[in-house]
Amino acid sequence: MTTIQLPSPGALPDTIEGRPASDNYLTHTRGILSWIFTLDHKRIGVMYMWSVLGAFLLGGTFALLLRTELLTPGPTITDSADTYNQWFTLHGAIMVFLVIIPSIPAALGNIILPIMLGAKDVAFPRLNLFSYYLWVTGAVLCVVSLAMGGFDTGWTFYTPYSTTTTAGGVIPVLTAAFVLGFSSIFTGLNFIVTVHKLRPPGMTWFRMPLFLWAIYATAIIQVLATPVLGITLLLLIVERTVNIGIFNPSMGGDPVLYQHFFWFYSHPAVYIMILPAMGIISEIIAINSHRAIFGYRLIAFSSIAIAFFSFIVWGHHMFTSGQSALMNTLFSAISFSVAIPSAVKVFNWIATLYKGSVSLTTPMWYALSFLFLFTIGGLTGLHLATLSTDVHLHDTYFVVAHFHYVMMGSALIGMIGGLHHWWPKIFGRMYDERLGTIACWIIFIGFNVTFFTQFMLGSQGMPRRYYDYQPEFQVYHVISTIGSYIMAVGFTLTAISLFGSFFNGKKAPANPWGGRSLEWQCASPPPFDNFAKAPRVGDCYDFSVVHWDPKLGGYRVDESNDPEVNPAAQGTKAAH
Amino acid sequence: MSMTHQILAHTASQISALAAFAQTGAAEPTPPTFWMPVGASTISQGVDHTLDVINWICYVFFALVVVLMVWFVVKYRHRTGDKFRTDYPTHNTPLEITWSVIPTIIVIGIFVVGFRSYLDIYTAPKNAFDIKVTAQKWAWSFQYPNGAVSDDLYIPAGRPVRLVLRSSDVLHSLYIPDFRVKRDIVPGRYTYAWFQCDFPTGQPGKTPRDPNAKVVSGPEDDAQAHTLFCTEYCGTGHSKMNRYVYVLDEASFGQWMTDQSQWMDKIPEEELYFKAGPKIFARCQQCHSLDGTVGIGPSWKGIIERVKAYPIVGDGKEYGTWEDYIRTSILVPGKYVVPTYGNVMPSFKGQLNDKAIDAVLGYMQQLEKFDTKTGKLKAEFDPATGMKK
Repeated sequence: MTTIQLPSPGALPDTIEGRPASDNYLTHTRGILSWIFTLDHKRIGVMYMWSVLGAFLLGGTFALLLRTELLTPGPTITDSADTYNQWFTLHGAIMVFLVIIPSIPAALGNIILPIMLGAKDVAFPRLNLFSYYLWVTGAVLCVVSLAMGGFDTGWTFYTPYSTTTTAGGVIPVLTAAFVLGFSSIFTGLNFIVTVHKLRPPGMTWFRMPLFLWAIYATAIIQVLATPVLGITLLLLIVERTVNIGIFNPSMGGDPVLYQHFFWFYSHPAVYIMILPAMGIISEIIAINSHRAIFGYRLIAFSSIAIAFFSFIVWGHHMFTSGQSALMNTLFSAISFSVAIPSAVKVFNWIATLYKGSVSLTTPMWYALSFLFLFTIGGLTGLHLATLSTDVHLHDTYFVVAHFHYVMMGSALIGMIGGLHHWWPKIFGRMYDERLGTIACWIIFIGFNVTFFTQFMLGSQGMPRRYYDYQPEFQVYHVISTIGSYIMAVGFTLTAISLFGSFFNGKKAPANPWGGRSLEWQCASPPPFDNFAKAPRVGDCYDFSVVHWDPKLGGYRVDESNDPEVNPAAQGTKAAH
Repeated sequence: MSMTHQILAHTASQISALAAFAQTGAAEPTPPTFWMPVGASTISQGVDHTLDVINWICYVFFALVVVLMVWFVVKYRHRTGDKFRTDYPTHNTPLEITWSVIPTIIVIGIFVVGFRSYLDIYTAPKNAFDIKVTAQKWAWSFQYPNGAVSDDLYIPAGRPVRLVLRSSDVLHSLYIPDFRVKRDIVPGRYTYAWFQCDFPTGQPGKTPRDPNAKVVSGPEDDAQAHTLFCTEYCGTGHSKMNRYVYVLDEASFGQWMTDQSQWMDKIPEEELYFKAGPKIFARCQQCHSLDGTVGIGPSWKGIIERVKAYPIVGDGKEYGTWEDYIRTSILVPGKYVVPTYGNVMPSFKGQLNDKAIDAVLGYMQQLEKFDTKTGKLKAEFDPATGMKK
């Protein structure tokens, strides 16, 4: 077998195939048009990233407004309950549809997935660009909806409130969610085909990095579940405009039917958010422990198991809706089954630390935060899957706290961790790791102050979506609001550390953390078409061939002892 | 064990629990804890027990995860440039099976515990006392078998109560934290909730709470009332849609119900407007102001003049006297919708009788006697006669 030996990244020649070695996807072509019409997956990913981070800033601003309003019972910064209702609706809709769902797959996934596969691009680059512009259209429609009077339906759009409210922006925002759904479907479709068709020779399914497994499982949910949301939103638009009466009880419709339709998508959507983050955590923990991930197959299978179970648990959002006791019992039982693959993943990550060589880099701090927060988020799911306790906790702040631990503490922290993990690869600059780590700690502390308090608030009986509240709840609300300000400081520091890298960051080596998967084998930032020649695929979690090279300020992969590369050499690999 | 068996076993445990209760006669609601509020219903102990079980499982697992995580990170800390350890295991099938199977057993256990206490919540006893509940934006109306209607919920102690829930507009949800009870209220269908509370709370003072208070204040006397919330988002007044639950001993409850059904009967016709009017207005003030402020609905200030300057509604809508117009608007609100306002008012048919509507009409005619903020008689008028002091 002849294999192609890549030169180690530190010793890149001056030119590759006639182009200067300094040429990368950021400098390959210039001008605004070269970005607007780009078909390069990395540029599309970068555009997604800035757009999603912009939306995150907006959604976060609404969160701070909400928390500030809740500092005191009654009016604090607005004397209108309607304004408050619009804020929480906007916060939810922006964070779910514009930020968390597209954040990891569309932004980081777009940039990293093809490089991890050793491919030049995704399978359908034009569809990829189209899906980005669908996202932009969705975002614009959200703004249009604001200009038309906003919307106060909650991000769940429950009928008949959503079909009867006088707020003027309901139809534009439904259209926005519909369009964003297609953006998500196209991204998922693209990734499924890419993973099936563009894997290089030698990369069998069980040689894929776990991030790819996670993105693949996510893509399946995106393609299968999102159309249901699309149909539901269309029905809602038709109901609101011409009153066909499918959800309207006064015309023989059923509001509970809407809830079934909505959660049939929106429960799987929770896993669209969390699975990619789990993939990132697998990467960060393995690479920063510099050892093979523990129980690779079990982690991969648990991603698929979670994707499967995600489709049959939606009814646990409706235990108090009037759904029959038998249905409630079945949905409760099935919901518990999601706990098992989730627990297995956590145990495997912990076991990966065991006898590893743990480098406490900034991404690793985020991964450890994730483990802590996801454990709380996952365990409190038990309270809510249990029938009798859910009746008490449903629609209270306990639920708010639970899903923030999962969607923000896990999905978003995973995303920020991934951003720190791949930032040197994407932009070719190192950020200030000390500042980044301090920021991670501040976010972690602020997060727990904000949301752990809300568990108490909820179990003591405070309903969610309340503008006004009983004075006895005020202590909890004040603590929670202080926590949100701490988080705001943390995120500001994160932004300073990341943006600072453009001004005073030192040049990133190709492999700053000691990764083995293919993206660490191309330069930082990657060249325009990723790899000049098809790279050789090794075992992406075998770190025995990765060595620290002080001259590079990074790691170097030396495969000369690998019997697959050099049959003459005695293998020094850790036995599998 | 089959489901039937479980239900039977459960019923048996229920009966023995009831017998135990009859003997000991639990004297007090369970006091609030770090997690839970006062537990005052017969199911609250079962729910709290389930919660405790889950909490302890969570504490143990959480401690396990965090301790191992911190221990491994400290023990296997790596400094850049050092050699990597190579003595690590990559997988361990027996261990992985163990940590898949143990959580499976635990969650099955939690499910069973939760399912058993859920049956308590779900199945109302046959002899339950029925109270009809109408939820609408943004008020509750509780109707009792003898025709009495109230804004706060009054229940008899020591007797199972079944609430028959109905919504006249959008989704609402009835939630009484101290009873661990919650049930969505879906327009177009009836839903039910039941509970039993054995501990009387006493009655509230005679003066109703200030409906315009910026803060929802507590009950005005020593009555240890339980709070009742709406927990399904329903718009502007959602967070104001909360009332109190008063638990009365059997005798006072009967008396209260009789008085409540007759409270207007004893008021002479000419005193209705100031004795009954303000109380009825308290249910209207979420949408209608007295000072001309535009709300969800038109202000009552100058409403008679506007109606008389016919027509205030759209073209082709005809009505007789102004009294007819108001009456129809209360009972069939969709008939005359004043332009620019939405058709959002729920019907009060069955909730306000002719006498109550007379009180509203009288109230509208004498608006200048009432405080525009509170809706109550101004201080300079005698509350007994309605005349200037």
